[in-house]
Amino acid sequence: MNVQIILNILVIVESLLLLVISITLFRKTSDFKKLKKYEEALIMFQANQNDVIPMLVHELRAPLSVVKGASDLLLKSTDEMNADQVRDLLAQIKSSSEGLLKMVGDILDVSKMEGGKFQISKVFGSLGGLLKEECAYFESLARVKEVSLSCATGENIPEFSFDPERVKQVMSNLLSNAIKFTPKGGSVEVIARHVDRIVEVVVEDTGIGVPEKDQPKLFHKFFQAGNQGGVTQKGTGLGLVITKGIVEAHGGKIWYEDNKPKGAKFIFALPLK
Amino acid sequence: MPKKILFIEDDEGFFNIFSVPLKMKGYDVVHVSDGALGVEKAISEKPDLILLDIVLPGTSGLDILKELRERPESKDAKIVMLTNFGSDENINKAMEYGANDYLMKYNIVPSELPDKIAILMGEASGAGIKVTQ
Ligand SMILES: Nc1ncnc2c1ncn2[C@@H]1O[C@H](COP(=O)(O)OP(=O)(O)OP(=O)(O)O)[C@@H](O)[C@H]1O
Ligand SMILES: [Mg+2]
Repeated sequence: MNVQIILNILVIVESLLLLVISITLFRKTSDFKKLKKYEEALIMFQANQNDVIPMLVHELRAPLSVVKGASDLLLKSTDEMNADQVRDLLAQIKSSSEGLLKMVGDILDVSKMEGGKFQISKVFGSLGGLLKEECAYFESLARVKEVSLSCATGENIPEFSFDPERVKQVMSNLLSNAIKFTPKGGSVEVIARHVDRIVEVVVEDTGIGVPEKDQPKLFHKFFQAGNQGGVTQKGTGLGLVITKGIVEAHGGKIWYEDNKPKGAKFIFALPLK
Repeated sequence: MPKKILFIEDDEGFFNIFSVPLKMKGYDVVHVSDGALGVEKAISEKPDLILLDIVLPGTSGLDILKELRERPESKDAKIVMLTNFGSDENINKAMEYGANDYLMKYNIVPSELPDKIAILMGEASGAGIKVTQ
């Protein structure tokens, strides 16, 4: 085991944490300059006052603690571990670091969107194929959670121009939410269809759904339903903000509907051009 | 027979890093990531010690602690909170509900966990029982 490499990882990861926290603290003040609506200002203000910093710190500190703990164990006791344990710990360091990178990326995306600097790069391709890939990718997570996942991804959607990485991110946010908020035994379904010059993708689940009073806040930064003060839930509440930003950068729209008889339904529409 | 530890934790990462040293010390570690199932297992598995996270999907570890203390089968179980939330409010609640210890995930080095809990299970050595912030 190369001790130096592990120590390097640790140092990099810890400096990342500091960086992200300072960006967040800085944004907290600069955001106010750009706020248009009073109501938005109020929501942001309340969110920032109570939840945001402790929530973000917690979300970052968890994977960091895991990276630190795993590397500490590897440094101290590799000799007493079996090969599987060593591999599991290394795999854990990798996945925790990936989670951290995603979070840092999300924060950067939101800041670009708010500064009007968010850009996509479109290429001509098949959306159906992309949806299939994403569904396949989430299959194992769904299985672990004992949630069934099915995808009717519309064979007949014509090819068109979109940013494949960003649309993958949209699907990954919607699918991870749908699986996260659907208890064991429930189901998640992806449906794609095209109507005239528009393609609509529906991600629906039979989970806990979103109470009516929270629906208008769904696409607000840091919003997490049922998270009334205090930190009680995983995630940063940035996924849907980014999702909306990506869809709108394509000239599209995204909205929420209740799924009948229960659960959530997110629909996004992209223009076929 | 090895002593049994029930680990109620939904974060795969934390479970991995804390279960490795426990298994290396020869403990039998039972993992549950769901709060409701945690209460069930705490009764059916009769563990020697329960490690309990606070933020769990759908429930709070504090509520589970309370429920375990109210049930006759588990009212005397050794329960250690293992969490990332060190607010006074949480610690006070945990103590009020009768947790045996309160450990912070980001403070405790995984390799030291076995020592920290050994004394609670009536085994030699180990640090004193106190709130470790
Ligand atoms: N499918 C769903 N069912 C029920 N509630 C949902 C669903 N999707 C989103 N929500 C609600 O909207 C909130 C915001 O979602 P969003 O994806 O932006 O953040 P998050 O999942 O909490 O965190 P992140 O995606 O940044 O890790 C969620 O916390 C949840 O309350
Ligand atoms: Mg999300």
